Amino acid sequence: MVDKILIVDDKDINREMLSAILEEDYCVMEAENGRVAIEIIEKNFEDLSVVLLDLLMPEVDGYEVLEIMNRRGYLEKLPVLVISTESASNVETKCFEAGVSDFIRKPFDNAKVRNRVKNIVNLYRYKNNLEEKVEQQTEKLRKQNNLLQKQAERLQKSNEQIIDILGTVVESRNLESGEHIQRVKEFTRILAYQMKDDYAEYNLSDEKIQLIVSASALHDVGKIAIPDNILLKPGKLTKEEFDIMKSHTTRGCQILEDIEDAWDENYAAASYEICRHHHERYDGRGYPDGLCGDEIPISAQIVSIADVYDALVSERVYKGAFTMEEAFKMIVSGDCGVFSPKLLDAFGKVRSKFEDLANRNKNKKSADIA
Amino acid sequence: MTLKECYEKLGADYEGVLQRMAGKEALVQRFALKFLKDTSYSDLKNALTDEDYENAFRASHTLKGVASNLGFVKIVDSAHSLTEQLRGGSKPENDNDFTELSAAYEETIAMLSALEQ
Repeated sequence: MVDKILIVDDKDINREMLSAILEEDYCVMEAENGRVAIEIIEKNFEDLSVVLLDLLMPEVDGYEVLEIMNRRGYLEKLPVLVISTESASNVETKCFEAGVSDFIRKPFDNAKVRNRVKNIVNLYRYKNNLEEKVEQQTEKLRKQNNLLQKQAERLQKSNEQIIDILGTVVESRNLESGEHIQRVKEFTRILAYQMKDDYAEYNLSDEKIQLIVSASALHDVGKIAIPDNILLKPGKLTKEEFDIMKSHTTRGCQILEDIEDAWDENYAAASYEICRHHHERYDGRGYPDGLCGDEIPISAQIVSIADVYDALVSERVYKGAFTMEEAFKMIVSGDCGVFSPKLLDAFGKVRSKFEDLANRNKNKKSADIA
Repeated sequence: MTLKECYEKLGADYEGVLQRMAGKEALVQRFALKFLKDTSYSDLKNALTDEDYENAFRASHTLKGVASNLGFVKIVDSAHSLTEQLRGGSKPENDNDFTELSAAYEETIAMLSALEQ
């Protein structure tokens, strides 16, 4: 297809002279002033290859045409070549600043006009093609990105489903802790956000906290493997029985290791940490590994308090429920495990939030019984 | 009278215009004769009579451009000088430039008319 070009000049002799040079190679359109030029550009924007523009014209002059083209974004795709008699030196600079691609002074040489027009047309054809290609590539990337995003969401969902399934198994196996898991998750969330605010050194991002909260549901997954006569025993456990009971941490880890390949490694790692270490003590006298201080992963430390607190304020086969005040004091005084001072400080700050949650659960339970 | 003789009598730049138009004498002649119908000069004269110096500036500027493409050196020189006087819509200090331009223009038109015959 022949490229269309537009010649804008108020003098027909000037338009004819340019046309005579260019009509062999292009389909030439003409405008006798700026207003007509803009109308033609609007209608033929997609097909035009270059505009040859005179500056001094009645009505709308060349500068105004440039300004309008600039404002409407035409200059991005459609080059303008100014042809002027203007001898003042600042005019050329002014034109280039206004976005003009080339500037030719009169008297012009036919060969020069033809070559410069050809160069600009080719340059812009190349530039526009390139931009179109970049746009296509960007669109492709955007689609691929969306797809990845969807897959990531699906994966996330499947990770959480695995946790839910395992959590449900734990619940159905261990009758008394049906809602325990849900509450531990909530206590964990509250405490984790307080730790995030108070102690930047643990690098607790929102994503990390979400992971810890989800994974906290599996802290007792190993109880699946503990025999009923020990797990559900109403009285005090013997030393041997207690040793078996303690093995729920490491047995849980075996289960998690077995399904390691089935889910996201971040979920696997967080669940493993919590499952293994939620009975460690800050003074190193916990189990199974006797880790000490911040050797204990922060996830396990947080879940540990959440777990103990809920156990204290709930009724269990082997014990009655403590009041919330008693529970708080027992944890802070070290009667029920030894925790990091930082964690205890944060725990103190969220005390009322813990109690609100515990109350809500208690009320719910009364309502259920009624 | 040939086109070349016409240009020589006018003191115009025949070689230059021929070169710019890729050696096509017919093209030069076509546009040179077209100059007879160009209204820039009469526009300029009317604007000056009306003391409309903005339009006079534009007409003078345009005339300079057309003449320069056609190699009419004398018109270009006097139109250039007049254009600079009129720039910004100001009134020329005296009539000298326009008088000179008129003389050059009339001479050119007379010669081109003779060529056209």
